[in-house]
Amino acid sequence: MSKFNNFRSKLADGLEIPNDALSDNFNLRMHGNKKVIIENHLGLTIYENDKVGIKTVKNNILVKGSKFKIEEINDYKVIIKGDIDEIIFDKKE
Amino acid sequence: MFIFKLVSLLRGYVIIRLKTNNCEKTLNLLRKNGIRMWDVEKRESDVKLKISYEDYEKYKHIIEKAKIETVSKKGLVFTLKKLKVRKGFAAGLFILLICLYVLSSLVWNVEVVGVNDITEKNVIKLLEQNNITTPISHSSIKPKKIETMLYNNFDEFKFVEVYVEGSNLIIFIREKKPEKAEIEGSEPSSIISDKNAIITKIIAKSGQPMVKEGDVVYEGQTLVMGMVKNKNSEEFMMVPSDGIIYGKIYHNFELKEEKSKNMETSTDNSKNVYYLQINDDSIKIIGDKKPFENYNYRESTIKIPIISDLFHITLKKCTYYEQVMKTVEIDENTANNKMKVNMYDDLLEVCGKDAKTLTSSLNFSEDDSFYYLRAQIEIVESIGEKVKLSSMPETVNDETEEERMED
Repeated sequence: MSKFNNFRSKLADGLEIPNDALSDNFNLRMHGNKKVIIENHLGLTIYENDKVGIKTVKNNILVKGSKFKIEEINDYKVIIKGDIDEIIFDKKE
Repeated sequence: MFIFKLVSLLRGYVIIRLKTNNCEKTLNLLRKNGIRMWDVEKRESDVKLKISYEDYEKYKHIIEKAKIETVSKKGLVFTLKKLKVRKGFAAGLFILLICLYVLSSLVWNVEVVGVNDITEKNVIKLLEQNNITTPISHSSIKPKKIETMLYNNFDEFKFVEVYVEGSNLIIFIREKKPEKAEIEGSEPSSIISDKNAIITKIIAKSGQPMVKEGDVVYEGQTLVMGMVKNKNSEEFMMVPSDGIIYGKIYHNFELKEEKSKNMETSTDNSKNVYYLQINDDSIKIIGDKKPFENYNYRESTIKIPIISDLFHITLKKCTYYEQVMKTVEIDENTANNKMKVNMYDDLLEVCGKDAKTLTSSLNFSEDDSFYYLRAQIEIVESIGEKVKLSSMPETVNDETEEERMED
């Protein structure tokens, strides 16, 4: 599965098309330190006012900060708003 | 996101509250079922979030299973549902909207701009004759057709523009200026002087000359009379006068120019003041009212989309440019040249096109505060002006009339 995902990722790079269109890799975008948009996620792991955990295919993402509010969440993307201090990527075991 | 929230407001949304300790699990459950959630807020003991009314109805069973509390339902859908009960109010609102639409699609007033009252009445009368009477719908007004109709019926109109502004039909008219009545070649006329002058040349081609070379004539004095004696009889007859009359005219000028002038010069400083303009009233919102003691002023209007059209509210930006008074010394040469130019400008205004300068004497002088120019210009030009002669109506004696009556 992982090898196939890597292949799809490389193919997307070769064809110069967005990576998340072919592979299961997540797409993370930040607007300053106030907003983070994560696409291709698998759900929430933690939701507190000072930290939000998001599960993706390869990693678990932990966003730390304060005053967190989920602006939008659906099957494809999650938008987190607040004062972001750090983002930690944990490799799934 | 703003558009999405606006659409949600129209389509309706539900605010729900999760009271479980493991809110992440519930959120993931809802997400897996394709429910879109927004404004998720974690509070001390619960999580508040919004979902669309559509999703709420679709997954009601899941929401009930997950022990989720519904806080409130908001949006246009719910407001309209309430209206179902208040049928009278709904009907009134519907009638109001219909009335508003119908009334605003009619023209209620015809405004004629740029002409006097009599012409205005005539224009309105013509419109009425062509079945253009208020109230009339916007669609039945054909501006080009009305313009053509007005051009055809009023020869004195130079420019006509017809347009609809709100519920007014505006007819903007510019009239032709009355042309100076020209004297036809065959009409009896005399030539009079249009200036005070000394006659230098007079050639009367037709008519009786009344003055000779060297005579001093005054404005309005007859130079060539359009009445000559008939050769065959003793009677006078009226003829069209024609001739060339030149006169010598002296123009005297006295001009003065200040040696030093206080002039306003602008600095680089400028400040903006913003006003909110509601109809004719304006309210200052940003900046000092008059930021400089001496200033130049420029204003521009900024229209706010939709709001300006609906409520006549606009934003007015006024820019004040600082002006400083400075004393400027003017040198003699510049002042003399300026006075000379001004003098010739004045001379051109009073002279005819065929005028020729014979002599000119210019005397420049000065005192402590002024430069002076005293000038006398001698000019030769045509001074004749044709005036129409009209025969006096024959007076009938009362006696002869009485005799006729007796007969």
